Amino acid sequence: MSQDANLPLDYFKHVSLFWTDLLHLMSGKPVALTSVGPMRNWTNDIKKISTEIIDSQDAMVEFNKKLAEYYKQLSDTWAESQKKVNAKAPSIPQDSEQLEAYKRIWIDIFENDFTQLFDSEKFGQNYGELVSAELELTKRWENIQNVTLQSLKLPTRKEIDEVYKELHELRKRVAKLEKEAPDAKRHD
Amino acid sequence: MQSDTIDPKLIQEFLSFTKNVADAPKLVPAPDEITLESSPYDVAYECDKVRLLHFKPIVETKAKFPLVISYAIINRYHILDISPKKSWVRKMLEGGIDVYMIDWGNPSNIDKYLDFDDYVNSYMDNCVEFVKKETESKSISIQGYCTGGTIATIYASLHPHKVKNLIATAPVIDGWKDTTVVSNVAKHVNVDKLVDTIGNMPPEFMYYCFSILKPFEQGLEKYYKFFKNIHDKEFVDIFLRVEKWLSETPPIPGELFKQWIRDIYQENLLVQNKMFVGGKQIDLKKITMPIFVQTAVGDHLVSPECSMPLYYAVGSQDKTLRVYPTGHVGMIASAFSQKQVLPELIQWLKER
Repeated sequence: MSQDANLPLDYFKHVSLFWTDLLHLMSGKPVALTSVGPMRNWTNDIKKISTEIIDSQDAMVEFNKKLAEYYKQLSDTWAESQKKVNAKAPSIPQDSEQLEAYKRIWIDIFENDFTQLFDSEKFGQNYGELVSAELELTKRWENIQNVTLQSLKLPTRKEIDEVYKELHELRKRVAKLEKEAPDAKRHD
Repeated sequence: MQSDTIDPKLIQEFLSFTKNVADAPKLVPAPDEITLESSPYDVAYECDKVRLLHFKPIVETKAKFPLVISYAIINRYHILDISPKKSWVRKMLEGGIDVYMIDWGNPSNIDKYLDFDDYVNSYMDNCVEFVKKETESKSISIQGYCTGGTIATIYASLHPHKVKNLIATAPVIDGWKDTTVVSNVAKHVNVDKLVDTIGNMPPEFMYYCFSILKPFEQGLEKYYKFFKNIHDKEFVDIFLRVEKWLSETPPIPGELFKQWIRDIYQENLLVQNKMFVGGKQIDLKKITMPIFVQTAVGDHLVSPECSMPLYYAVGSQDKTLRVYPTGHVGMIASAFSQKQVLPELIQWLKER
């Protein structure tokens, strides 16, 4: 059991993993006895999927944390901008152009404050971490898909990527050979 | 003392606005019903998903060298030919320039390993070689817009003998000096993880970047103006064309995106002559041909501070820098670009 297991999330993860692993071990022999050939993979697959789901909890917590911070930054800026607009509103002349003038002030203040936010280090940092957490979740989801794809004897995303890479390199080599071919003919 | 009555002018304006909203579908086409093709062209050359478009001449060719335009890797080339009255291409043709345009196409998953080497040393070089052969020219003029300007700059550095003149319009050069919110996002994204996880950079990510550029002006005010001016045919036509163009962003090949963000925005290698493309180091001092750098003071996608260092970094003796009082799109597709930016550029090209 890890040292941080007193934290609720880690404890939950530990308990879940403990039972998943133990059940997997306990059921290993009876399943092996009753299953024929490749069907044995199903139990392994279930374990892999369970592990991915459990591990994705960390990523989900991190993602929610960063997302909450993202919305907090937006709502804080909104509230601050609205305060500035409210402070300026009484000075707008009350004539037929009042609505247009109010709109202009509102847009200018909001535009300025939000641009400052988007340009700030704190926004950039949190946004980068938010995307990173989202990618972590995507990766977990992909790992789960890969288990299913493998069980169906279909290529995984990683295997397809290897094919794309190979094709890309082949295309490059062919293009290079085609460019060199007229030169080779000349030398002949 | 505050008046208790509502100004009748306000009520009238509100009623007129709501009527415009109700009438809009009867007056204007849906974006999907609009075709963005404007000036006629032939597809002169094709390689994978890349096409080289050759625009049909309007007048007799007056410039000595054909021009190849390297469009950006974000959005499609249509903005340079958005409507007859605001077409960059058409004005060039009217000025007697023989215009070719590289359409980078719509990359799909299979293209995720395409990188700067492929774009510069394969696609662009193939297009240049094709134009040289077809027009029997020893070298050609190249114009690059936005990220297409970065590609054109790298090309000119690696193949200077093939480029007669270089025009860099809002090129992305010095990522550390860029003051836009896009560069702030770019600097903080773990681009290796992004590309390894999702492959090509999806359009949605780019739409997010667009959404933080002037969100209230671009997200609210411009649509208010659209409905307010719904009876102005010319305004509505250009508005819808630009909107449609904005909404058609192709994905960016993963490796190209990774290199672009890391080498230019995060590590700023290009302007320091430390960037490698196809195993070769990019030395901007090797750009010795005449160069025209165009930037816009109101550019909120590529700030002038990001583009201008190119002017100082190149080895050219004959160099021109212009900072126009407009924006990123205004520089290429506006009444201002037709009146000032293009005549100046056409004259510059003819003199060379």
